[in-house]
Amino acid sequence: MSATPTSATADDVRRVIRTDALTKRFGRVTAVDAVALDVREGDVYGFLGANGSGKTTTVRMLLGLVLATSGDIEVLGEPMPGSARAVLPRVGALVEGPGTYPHLSGRANLALLDATGADGPRRTRTRRIDEALERVGLASVDGRPARAYSLGMRQRLGLAAALLRRPDLLVLDEPTNGLDPQGIHEIRTLLLELNREGTTVFLSSHLLAEIEQMCTRVGVLDGGRLVLQDQMDALRGPTGRTEVRTPDLEEARRLLATMPDLEVESTVDEHEGGRLLVRGAEPADLNARLVEAGVRVTLLSPERRHLEDVVLAATTSGTDRFGRAGASA
Amino acid sequence: MVALAAGLLVVAPLVGRWLPAGEADVGPTELLEQTRAAVDEPWSGTVETEGTLQLPDADRFGGVAALFGERTTLRAWWRDPEHWRVDRLLTTGETDIRRNGDTTLEWSFERAEATYSRDPAIRLPRPADLVPPVLAERLLRGVSDADVSPLPTRRLAGESAAGLRVRPPSDLSSIGRVDIWTGQDSHLPLLVEVYATGQATPSFTSSLTDVSTEPPTDDVLAFEPTARTDVSVDDVLDIADAANQYAPVRPPATAAGLDLGPASDGAVGVYGEGTAQLIAIPLRDREADALRTQMAITPGVEQDTERTVVSVGPLGVLLTGGDGDGGWLLAGTLTRDALERAGRDVVAGFVFVDEAR
Amino acid sequence: MIHAELSKLLRNRRTWGTIAIIDALPTLVAVLLAMTDLGPRPGTGPAFLSAVLTDGTLFPLAALAMVLPLFLPIAVALVAGEAVAGEAQQGTLRYLLIRPVGRTRLLVAKLVAVMAFVVVTVLVVAVTSYVVGVLLLGDQTVTVTGPTTSISGSPMSTPELVGRTGLAFAYAMLCMLGVAAVALFLSTVARSPLGAAMGAMTLLVASTLLLTLDAAQALHPYLLTRHWLAFVDLFRDPIRWDEVVRGVLVQGAYVVVFLGAAWASFTTKDITD
Repeated sequence: MSATPTSATADDVRRVIRTDALTKRFGRVTAVDAVALDVREGDVYGFLGANGSGKTTTVRMLLGLVLATSGDIEVLGEPMPGSARAVLPRVGALVEGPGTYPHLSGRANLALLDATGADGPRRTRTRRIDEALERVGLASVDGRPARAYSLGMRQRLGLAAALLRRPDLLVLDEPTNGLDPQGIHEIRTLLLELNREGTTVFLSSHLLAEIEQMCTRVGVLDGGRLVLQDQMDALRGPTGRTEVRTPDLEEARRLLATMPDLEVESTVDEHEGGRLLVRGAEPADLNARLVEAGVRVTLLSPERRHLEDVVLAATTSGTDRFGRAGASA
Repeated sequence: MVALAAGLLVVAPLVGRWLPAGEADVGPTELLEQTRAAVDEPWSGTVETEGTLQLPDADRFGGVAALFGERTTLRAWWRDPEHWRVDRLLTTGETDIRRNGDTTLEWSFERAEATYSRDPAIRLPRPADLVPPVLAERLLRGVSDADVSPLPTRRLAGESAAGLRVRPPSDLSSIGRVDIWTGQDSHLPLLVEVYATGQATPSFTSSLTDVSTEPPTDDVLAFEPTARTDVSVDDVLDIADAANQYAPVRPPATAAGLDLGPASDGAVGVYGEGTAQLIAIPLRDREADALRTQMAITPGVEQDTERTVVSVGPLGVLLTGGDGDGGWLLAGTLTRDALERAGRDVVAGFVFVDEAR
Repeated sequence: MIHAELSKLLRNRRTWGTIAIIDALPTLVAVLLAMTDLGPRPGTGPAFLSAVLTDGTLFPLAALAMVLPLFLPIAVALVAGEAVAGEAQQGTLRYLLIRPVGRTRLLVAKLVAVMAFVVVTVLVVAVTSYVVGVLLLGDQTVTVTGPTTSISGSPMSTPELVGRTGLAFAYAMLCMLGVAAVALFLSTVARSPLGAAMGAMTLLVASTLLLTLDAAQALHPYLLTRHWLAFVDLFRDPIRWDEVVRGVLVQGAYVVVFLGAAWASFTTKDITD
């Protein structure tokens, strides 16, 4: 994964999605409150939030489906929904589940969609549809009407619809919904492949693990507010502490206590033996000193943060609202 | 913007009615003359009549009950009283009456029948009698300047119309008043409203909703039957005509103080004129019984062995005799007292004529 | 986009089912009339139904008079009611809009598709009723020898009859455009297609009911169904235009108001389905 420095300024990279003070009120309820999204070209952006946090409303506003109460949206460098005609042909999207005409086959569904604003000449339509179906693993789909599809198949069909054109931006709302683990893996591989080919992926999900596995950048929405937005690397960056695992826990502790420049927070994990967290140490230097003193070291590494902890710290309210991988929506 | 367009469209049909009506430039006397003379003037247009009179509906009189009790739309072309065409429009077709000199043609689309007849001296009312110029002329018979007063002008059928209120000159009449509005450009009566005594809403109205004073052309008035049309000739038009021709009786010369009119040349008597008029038709027992049964179930009926009587708005209907008898049917715009008196006069005064006739 | 909508409509089996049902009624009536030779009593029954016993070429008009008051508008309400609300319910609306298909364009395409349905239905009814009318009804000797009789009793030549029949069917289509506009508006507002169709049908039933009520006289000029049967006036002699013209104006007003409302509602709507 390419790591963009956190400190990079707006001028260095092109913004694919940028919102400014984006707000949506439904009557008295503020669903989205002053959100400033910043998605850069080449990102796999994870848009994380509990159900009801305003994710879907935000996604719909990006696509011009829901009209913002106030604030500005820029997608692919042009204002939305004002330039929808220019912007949307370069965007593929899956919003809250696929939509299909139940009496038509998957192929006919795609053909109908293609006819509503062709992504290419008509004679290449069949080929384009075949390619899209191939990519999502529906190449061998038969003429059954879409109403006979499983949820997973329909999800793949929706993804194929989004891929009918070669989009510069893919906006996907809960794309792995209804897929089995194998399917989830396939989709993840597909998305990463597309991303390598230059497609920016905006992935909205309530599944932390899904985001953590794929994304290069994360935004967290909580109660309609964007409480966190940063590069994944930065979020999972070193904490400044060094983790030391050793069977000789007491000796190590004693030794470290003699070093006035270090601060030790230790915990003992009974199954794996001792674990010490040392603040203020330079890992290589610490290792040398421990080994020199005859303390056996199983593992010594700079400690990194977990996305889960970061997210939980950023969101004020209940922890149970974030599902883990596999939890249903 | 959409709301504005909607608002305009809702108001649009009303604009014509809001145009102010001009001041009347004729006095009541002149207006009375104009209104009377209109029956001889050519015109064509659409007539709406609306009656609220629920008359007893017996088979042989069927058309009459509908005429006074329903809303009808007529399309009329009028050259003069002897050359005209009045179509009664129905959603399922139409029935037309065309008058050409001395023949009358009745056409019914749904029956695909064309029936020619001569116009008898005595007959039941028909739609052509109710178009405003004809109705006004009839109601104004016997009315003098003293009986009319002006009404404010109104806007009708796209022109200003001057109004006249007519109080019946005869106190035998059951009509409270008749209001007539006559167009100031067309000089045609455009609206006639007949009120029963003491009523605030009209019992019968007839109005011209659109009108032209162009004389109608021949091809509109003429009738050319097609191969599909059943053409027949009728010697007897209706029950009144039949009774008039064939009943072996003659009505008395007066009834309730009203004189027998000049139209009466047979068994049927027509008394009085204008707003106080009465027709007396002798009925055979079968016809009388059928009508009596219908009258008996009409609200407000009074029945004894001598007669059955019912008043519907300004119209009074009286049938003499009891169950199983023939009798005289008296109908007209007379007060209840006058009607009862006329009934007794007719029963007491009629004579049989030679059976050989 | 219009092409896509038409193909959607024509490839839906339900479209053809509806047309078949609408077409079945006049066909059934023709068969019954041919078997019994019993026309309705004068003043009752649909217009022209008594006349077709002698003249089968009038049967398309009798068929129109049969389907126009109820069958056809209900079908139109169902099809137009589904236009937007149906797409929303299937979840396809959002995908159409992010193709992107302009909202105004989508609305126009939907209206065109509904009108295509009306035209196809009316043509199917006209053709089948003409065929069954000529085959089953009427007195053949009369039909070949003479011109048709107009409502006013005067002769009507074949070109004249064809022309007036064409006008009558065009007028019926315009009337259905009024229904379509109402249902399309409701379709942009309602959550379910059935709700939109029911709403339009409620208006139809209310309009029909109020027309029979003298107390509602003041409302009559505004009622949607007020002038629908005025196509009968085209077969009077001379043709009575004023009701037809008024009918055209009323339908036009409904189309302007409700399409305007549909446009205003749809282009500013948050698509949350």
